[in-house]
Amino acid sequence: MANYHPDTRLLNEYSSGTLPLAQSVCVSLHLNYCDQCRRAHQQLQQLGSALFEEMAPQQVDDSLLRTVMSRLDDEVQPLSYQSTPAADAPPPLIQRLMRGDYEDLGWEKVTSDVRMSRLRTGDIDNEFALYHIRAGASIPRHTHKGTELTLVLEGGFSDEEGHYEVGDFIMRDAEQQHSPTATRDRDCICIGVLDAPIKFTDWKYRVVNPFLKIQPS
Amino acid sequence: MADTVGIDSTGKRDDEWSQCLQLVAHARDREAFARLFGHFAPLIKAFALNGSALAAAHAEELVQEVMIKVWQKASAFNPHKAAASTWIYTIARNCRTDLYRRLQKFDTPINADDIWPEAESDELFAAVQQKREATRIREMLQELPHEQCQILMKVYMEGKSHSEVAEELDLPLGTVKSRVRLAMKKLQLMVER
Repeated sequence: MANYHPDTRLLNEYSSGTLPLAQSVCVSLHLNYCDQCRRAHQQLQQLGSALFEEMAPQQVDDSLLRTVMSRLDDEVQPLSYQSTPAADAPPPLIQRLMRGDYEDLGWEKVTSDVRMSRLRTGDIDNEFALYHIRAGASIPRHTHKGTELTLVLEGGFSDEEGHYEVGDFIMRDAEQQHSPTATRDRDCICIGVLDAPIKFTDWKYRVVNPFLKIQPS
Repeated sequence: MADTVGIDSTGKRDDEWSQCLQLVAHARDREAFARLFGHFAPLIKAFALNGSALAAAHAEELVQEVMIKVWQKASAFNPHKAAASTWIYTIARNCRTDLYRRLQKFDTPINADDIWPEAESDELFAAVQQKREATRIREMLQELPHEQCQILMKVYMEGKSHSEVAEELDLPLGTVKSRVRLAMKKLQLMVER
């Protein structure tokens, strides 16, 4: 079960629908692994509905009811809207974005131990990417200009502030430096959502920085 | 069903909407649907008008879309899992989000129903508990200080981020965040850690 969670602001913005698309996907995926946040989200939807009922109703013309009534039968019954939480496989939402399995993706090399694959979410401000870190290896020390959301999908990693396992959700703000290291026993796959590029601070890797320009899509 | 307004009117009314939804689901009852329309369509319209300029410009279209979804999806409504008003609100939220992305010409493989999966298991908490909780949230909302309620309204009904609210009210972001946290505490929501 996850030990690191989205904060109050993120959960409220997620539940109310104000969070950008790529970030919403990341929070939604965390919910797959976390009963506690799923529960909190349900409560926030109840809050949303209570606020909804507090609004001053706006006059709706009778003709609109007639229009809707006349359209009731011409639409086909949609399929069930239920979605099932993941067991062992990657969550359905991420499978959808990957259109296949981890192996089917086009991976770009970042360092000899780190690969990344950008996935298209349609978010025009945030880059959504998968990172694959070889067991025991590190992502070079870096800083962020904006916000970085991370969700662990496989394996685990540690940084200066903690140790993270599958389902854990981490948010790092601008100027927080860190150097995540994957656990030794297995490779780590995680999602990274960025609204501004990360910058490697170690001179050895600075040459890579221009290639990390974010590419939201 | 009489349109009674009593002390416990919200709870009773929710039972009424829940019955209407079940009539729509099982008997395709148009009269029950019209009653739902009468109550919810004006709220959905208000929700659209409160949203982005794009959503506001398409308010009636949104009302149509949401109410048709209510008709189509009624059989997926489970009165043991959700209050009728919460169920309809989430459809409105999803449709408004999708409408905005569609009008902005977002090219995305994801829609709102993917982002907010429906509650799956009732082992999370029992129906009775959920109902009690919904009532409690409604009641406590009335006692929330205006400055907290105003921010929640902007986030949930106007669809604004905390930063946008801070800018609009000319408050530091930290103040907006702490007011939201205070509201969560007061409403006894399990969001705080």
